[in-house]
Amino acid sequence: MPRTPRDIALYTGLAIAGIGVLLLVIGPVIGDSLSPDTVLTVEPISYAGAITLIVGLALVAGTYLIARRAGSNSGSDSDSGVANWSQVTQDYFDTFSHDMGRPFRRILGREREVRARIEESGVELPESVRGLMDEIEQQAPSFRLMLENVRVLVELEDPNANSVMEPVDPAGIVRNIADRYFALAKEQGIELSWWAEPQEFGLVYGDAAAIDHVVTNLVDNAMKFASGNIEVRLTRNPTHYYIRVWDDGKGIPDSHLPHLFDRGWTPALAGRQEKSSSGLGLYIARTLCRRSDGDLAAESVAERGGVGAGTGEADGHYTSMTVMLPLRDRPEFGSNGHSGGGDGSQRGNGERIT
Amino acid sequence: MTQQRTGSSRGQKILVVDDESTSDLMRSVLRRLETEGFRPVVVQPSGDRVDGRQYETEALFALTEERPAAVLLDVRFGEYDEDRFMGLNILKKIVERDPSLPVLMFTQYAQGPYRDTAVAASLSVNAPVDFIDKLASPEEVLLRLRRLIGSAPDNVKIGQQFELDATNNAVYCHNEGEKNHIREIQGMKFEILKELATAYFRSEAEVVPFSRLERFSEGEDSRASLRVRIREIKVALGKAANREFGADELIINIRNRGYRLSPPRISGTSSTSGPQG
Repeated sequence: MPRTPRDIALYTGLAIAGIGVLLLVIGPVIGDSLSPDTVLTVEPISYAGAITLIVGLALVAGTYLIARRAGSNSGSDSDSGVANWSQVTQDYFDTFSHDMGRPFRRILGREREVRARIEESGVELPESVRGLMDEIEQQAPSFRLMLENVRVLVELEDPNANSVMEPVDPAGIVRNIADRYFALAKEQGIELSWWAEPQEFGLVYGDAAAIDHVVTNLVDNAMKFASGNIEVRLTRNPTHYYIRVWDDGKGIPDSHLPHLFDRGWTPALAGRQEKSSSGLGLYIARTLCRRSDGDLAAESVAERGGVGAGTGEADGHYTSMTVMLPLRDRPEFGSNGHSGGGDGSQRGNGERIT
Repeated sequence: MTQQRTGSSRGQKILVVDDESTSDLMRSVLRRLETEGFRPVVVQPSGDRVDGRQYETEALFALTEERPAAVLLDVRFGEYDEDRFMGLNILKKIVERDPSLPVLMFTQYAQGPYRDTAVAASLSVNAPVDFIDKLASPEEVLLRLRRLIGSAPDNVKIGQQFELDATNNAVYCHNEGEKNHIREIQGMKFEILKELATAYFRSEAEVVPFSRLERFSEGEDSRASLRVRIREIKVALGKAANREFGADELIINIRNRGYRLSPPRISGTSSTSGPQG
C-alpha cells in the first residue's frame, strides 16, 4: 500500500501508463479507422492511449527524479533512513555515555589522587577505607565493559551493520586486554597469563573492535569466577585462528551449557554466585563472532562439590571459551571497511597476510 | 623531528593535549609518567573562552618547540558542539606534520565509529596511533605508551628489587639502598632472564614459550636443562635478595607451556611495581 505522497504519485503514474497501454492495444480492435486509405490507421482511442501512456510515464519519471534529488540531499530512501537512524542513535549514545561516564571518572580520579597522596605520606589506612578504594578501582573495567556492551548492542540493532575489516594484530589485542586486567587480577590473587602459538603471530584481516570486545567480555567473565588462574591462548591452523580463554573456576554444569549464549541468561541460573550480570556479555560475544563468520564455543567441567574441593588444577574443573574466526583473504581495495595500508604488509589484492 | 624513541624513558617528553589535564584522573596519569622518568608537557591555552581550535594551535606549536617523544591526545574538547571531535582534527594535523610520532588517543571508549574514523584517517599514513579508554589505569596508559614509543630499553627493572642491564650483560639487586651485581647470572642464564624480562616489559602477563627459551639450554633433554637453569636463576636472585623463591614465585611455569616473570609485589605499592625502563 502506498504510504507517502511519493508512493501515491508513483502508483498513479503507473496506473495512468497502464491505462494508456490498454487503450493502445484495444484501439485498433474497437475503434473506427479515421483514414482507411493511408498507412495512418490509428484510431482516436489509440491517440488517447498514447497520450495517456506518455502522461503516466512522465509522472513516474518525474516522481523518480524528485525522489532521487531529495534522497541525495537528505537520505530519504529507506536505506539512508536506516543509516540516519543508526547514526542518530549512536550520537545519542555517545552523548549519554560521555555524561554517564563523567561522574565515574571523577570518583575514580579522586580515589587515585587520594591513594597517591596516602602512599606518599606512608599513612596506614583502615581496612574499610582501603577496601572502598579497591572496590572503586575494581569496578572501573566492569564499567568500561558495560558502556561498551550498550554501544555494541545499539550497533547490532542496525540492520545495515557490518564488520569493519582491517589488518589486525590479534596478539596485540590480547596483550592490551591482559594489560587492562593484569593488575586487578594480581590484587585478587589470580595469575593472568597469555601466549601466542606461534609467538610471532602476525596480522590477520578482521574486525579489530569486535575481537577486542569479544575477548574483553570473556576475560571479564573469567575474572569473576577464576579460582586462581586465567589463561588466554592464541593459536591458528591454515583456515582459522582461535582465542581460548580458560579459567579454573568451579565450572558450569552440562545442563546449563546450552543456555550460556542466550540473551539475558545469567550465571545465577548455572548456580554461580555472581548476581549482577545482565546476561548480555556472552550473547553479544557470540553474535559478534558469528557476524564475522566465526563462532564462540564453551567447554566446561563443573566442580564436583563437597568439602575439600580444590582448585581447577587439582580438581579438574574449569571453563574454557574458544573464539574461532576465519583467516580471511585480503578484501578488494576499498570494497569493505578501511582500505589504507597501515601494516606495510599489503602486497596485492586477494592476498592472505597471515 | 622527535627524540629517540627507544631506550630509556628518562627525560623523554610526552605532549599532553587534553582540556581535562588538571582533573584528578589525568593528574594520576601525569604523576605515573613522571615516576617513570618521562617529562609530561601539558598544552594549556589561556583566555576567557578556550575552545578546541586554541588547543589545536597550541599543540602544533608545542610539537615544534618541545619535540616530544609521543603525544597523549583527547578526542573530545570542552562542551562546545563543534569541538566534539576536535581531537581527530588535531590527530590529522599531527600525522601530517610527523607521521612517525606516536599518538595515544584518550576516548571515553576506545572502540566504536569515532575510533574507526580516526583509524581510517591515520592508517593511510601508517602512523603509530593507539586508543585508550579514559577510565584506564595509569599503569595501562604507561604500558600502551611504552609500546607505542618503542622496544624494551637497555635497563629493565624486574619488580622493585632487580634490574637487568642488557648493555653490560649484568643483573643487579637493589637491597636497602645498595646496588649489588649478581655475578652468578651470566651466559645462558642471563640470556634466559633477558628473554623473560623483555616479554615482561612488553606485557606483564605474557608467557615465553619453552621453545624460545630452550635455545639457551643444552644437552639431550633441553627441557630438563632449562628447568635446571631456571632453578639456578631463582636461587641466585633469591640469595641476592635474602629470600627463597617458591615454585609459584618470581619465575613461574604456566601449565607446561612456558615461563613468565612474576616479581613479588610489595604491599600497598601496586601502582609502581610494574616493569620499568
